[in-house]
Amino acid sequence: MTILLSARNLTKKYGSLTALNNASLELRAGEVRSLVGANGAGKSTLIKILTGAIDANQGKVLLDGVPLKLGDPTTMLEAGIGCIYQHSNLVPALSVLDNIYLGRQPVLSFSRLDRKKQRAEAEELLLKYSLKLDLDAIVSTLPTVRQKEVEIAKALALNAKVLLMDEPTAWLSHTEVNNLFTTVRNLQASGVGIIYISHMLDELYAICDSVTILRDGNIVEDCAISDLTRQELLEKFIGKTLAQAATKTNQHAQKEHVPEDVILRCENLSKKGEFDDISFDLAKGEILCITGLIGSKRTELMHTIFGSNSLDSGRIFLEGAEYENRSPANAIKHQIGFVPEDRHRDGLMMQANIQDNLLMVSHDKIAKFGIVNQIKVDQRVSKQIKQLNITPADPNKIVSKLSGGNQQKVLIGKWLELHPKVLILDEPTVGVDVGAKSEIYTLIRKLRDQGTAIIVVSSDMEEVMGIADRIMVMCSGKKQGIYNAASISQQKIIAYVGGEAQS
Amino acid sequence: MWLLKNIPNRELILFFVITSLIFSLFSSTFRSAGNVENILIGFSHLGILAIGQALPILMRGIDLSVGSILALVGMVMFDCYIIFHMPGYVVLPIAIAVGTMAGVINGILITRFRIQPFITTLATMAAYRGLTYAISGRQLVPESATQAIDDNLLGLFDEFSGIFPYSFFLLLIVLAAAQYILSRTRIGLDLYSIGGNPEAARLCGIKVDKMIIISYGFSGFCAALAAIVMVSRMTTSTENLGIGIELTAITAAVIGGISLQGGIGNAIGPVIGAFLMGVILVGLTLTGISTYAQPVITGVILIAAVSYDRYKYYKLRSKNSAGESA
Repeated sequence: MTILLSARNLTKKYGSLTALNNASLELRAGEVRSLVGANGAGKSTLIKILTGAIDANQGKVLLDGVPLKLGDPTTMLEAGIGCIYQHSNLVPALSVLDNIYLGRQPVLSFSRLDRKKQRAEAEELLLKYSLKLDLDAIVSTLPTVRQKEVEIAKALALNAKVLLMDEPTAWLSHTEVNNLFTTVRNLQASGVGIIYISHMLDELYAICDSVTILRDGNIVEDCAISDLTRQELLEKFIGKTLAQAATKTNQHAQKEHVPEDVILRCENLSKKGEFDDISFDLAKGEILCITGLIGSKRTELMHTIFGSNSLDSGRIFLEGAEYENRSPANAIKHQIGFVPEDRHRDGLMMQANIQDNLLMVSHDKIAKFGIVNQIKVDQRVSKQIKQLNITPADPNKIVSKLSGGNQQKVLIGKWLELHPKVLILDEPTVGVDVGAKSEIYTLIRKLRDQGTAIIVVSSDMEEVMGIADRIMVMCSGKKQGIYNAASISQQKIIAYVGGEAQS
Repeated sequence: MWLLKNIPNRELILFFVITSLIFSLFSSTFRSAGNVENILIGFSHLGILAIGQALPILMRGIDLSVGSILALVGMVMFDCYIIFHMPGYVVLPIAIAVGTMAGVINGILITRFRIQPFITTLATMAAYRGLTYAISGRQLVPESATQAIDDNLLGLFDEFSGIFPYSFFLLLIVLAAAQYILSRTRIGLDLYSIGGNPEAARLCGIKVDKMIIISYGFSGFCAALAAIVMVSRMTTSTENLGIGIELTAITAAVIGGISLQGGIGNAIGPVIGAFLMGVILVGLTLTGISTYAQPVITGVILIAAVSYDRYKYYKLRSKNSAGESA
């Protein structure tokens, strides 16, 4: 097949830092190429050059053999390079139809909208790529997977020949991922070239034909994905030791649940419309994973324990005494930490630096009579940065400039400052690359061994099987059961997650 | 039923009707034709200002300078007519051009220097007011202060056709044009897109800066029209014209359902909002409540409207997360 997109010798420097060094990449029509690399390997830089968000210092990009002007989003869009970003780029209050044609609705004279033409074109488009969308639905009312499809339709409406997909599945559940894959295969069949970025190895092997591996700004491998085993792929981009740590997760020693060590006990927690009659307990030094599909109300349950969501009935006991989930402030006073799922919205001050974020929950520990003790600040911050291996190790770096993995480490570090007795982590590795993932796992296990009681909410089965001591499955607000991780198979858990009756 | 559900601002209209009925019950003056005339002529210019205000707010901005633009335009009209003896048909286009330019300057400052709209228009609010004093014909040619602007064209908006003042027709024209632009044109859709998600709009190649300048330009344009109506009624202008009116206009726009989160609202709401405030203020006066209490009431209404906006926003957000789990 003919070469569709060809990036040649792209180099991008930020000051003395080379983000991308002499990178070349080719994409054929109907090819799904995965782009993998650890945090800071240069993936985002490459994507940004291809979407025109930034210019390159050197090199060029050709589409169908025609060189394109770099650093201009409009040129790239018009040439036919569309991008589906990790975070939604839709206007929630507008209809699907208007979102698909965002910024380029067909018009008659005097900028009047040509509604008829717009609708006809949209219907044709949906038919051509077998997308099923209600054009009049308001985007904010659609489930996430449909919103992703709207974004795909939006890119295709430009006659996109090349589609960049940056972690499109990060916020999707298992079934939704399958729906998305069907869409991707349809696109592939109609000759669209796709560059697919994901940290989920399962997905890469399921959907991609070829792979380009980036490491420290250099392209280290470019081959068919079937030529590499998972282990080889991991080693190529995160290095041998980390790769071993990441795959070894399954063989870690699980801890027995010791009833005498129970620190947190929940009895018959219920909230109307959310969850119903949930009881469980959690002991010091164990990891309880709570899993289930999106909509199983795991997150709501965690917010309730933390005090940021209310409770209709049920009781919570902390260290034997009844505990009132009055407010997050009260939870923090009792040394309960909560790492929320959406770190941009609920977790971090994106425009503040690492130091301020790390110390956010422990202000009273660094101040005396309201005056901040700078020496303590420096000590604590440098300790956390070192312990968590946050890169760059600069307390003054603005958090929004960090990679996803490092942002997540800062967020976890913030709660470690509290020395929590109970630490709740909601989807701690979403949007985090494999290298940082294994670091986070190591950290969670270390905390457990130090005696912290840990709850991890996760939809990632590999993650659940890898780190859990016990697993609680939830399905539409109900507890399906609690199982010892050592004595249950992944297949069984998946069946329970789907709501199958347990034998 | 379908029709009923698709009436825009139906809660607001209902509230408007109920409020009017209550005042009509308590005050016979309130329900007189003369009073309807009073409200129409007294608040049409506010309706125009509120439509103008709607655009910046739709794009997550705000325009605090409209009161000062209004004064500036009024003073330009005063100078042109009284001092330079220009005919009305020359004064009008000049007035509109001055107001629009003042708005465009706001837009340029916001986009070029990346200053928040609140700060930019707070600064130009002071600057335009100062400029009004500087060019004031009342100060430069003291004897002019007692002369009236008695041009036929410039006095048009103080006249009536039946019980409807011409200024009300001007308001209807502005409303129709604004609503058409918002709902039926690319420009309107681009405005909603930017208000709804600025980053997405930028990545789609929408000229965000250009649209911001247009929206503030439109706000200035509306301020100029409001100035023409006010000068027409007073047959003169002062340096203090329209002090504090920006807050009333913002209140009217927010009551009218222009969401401060951006991207939601239409042009009809602000107009209803303006007249609702008119009904409440006039009604309170007629039922004998102190005029000093009126700014307090304006404040209370603003808080209530903004709280309702926040409430709707959170309701929508929790509905969305429910949608995801469905």
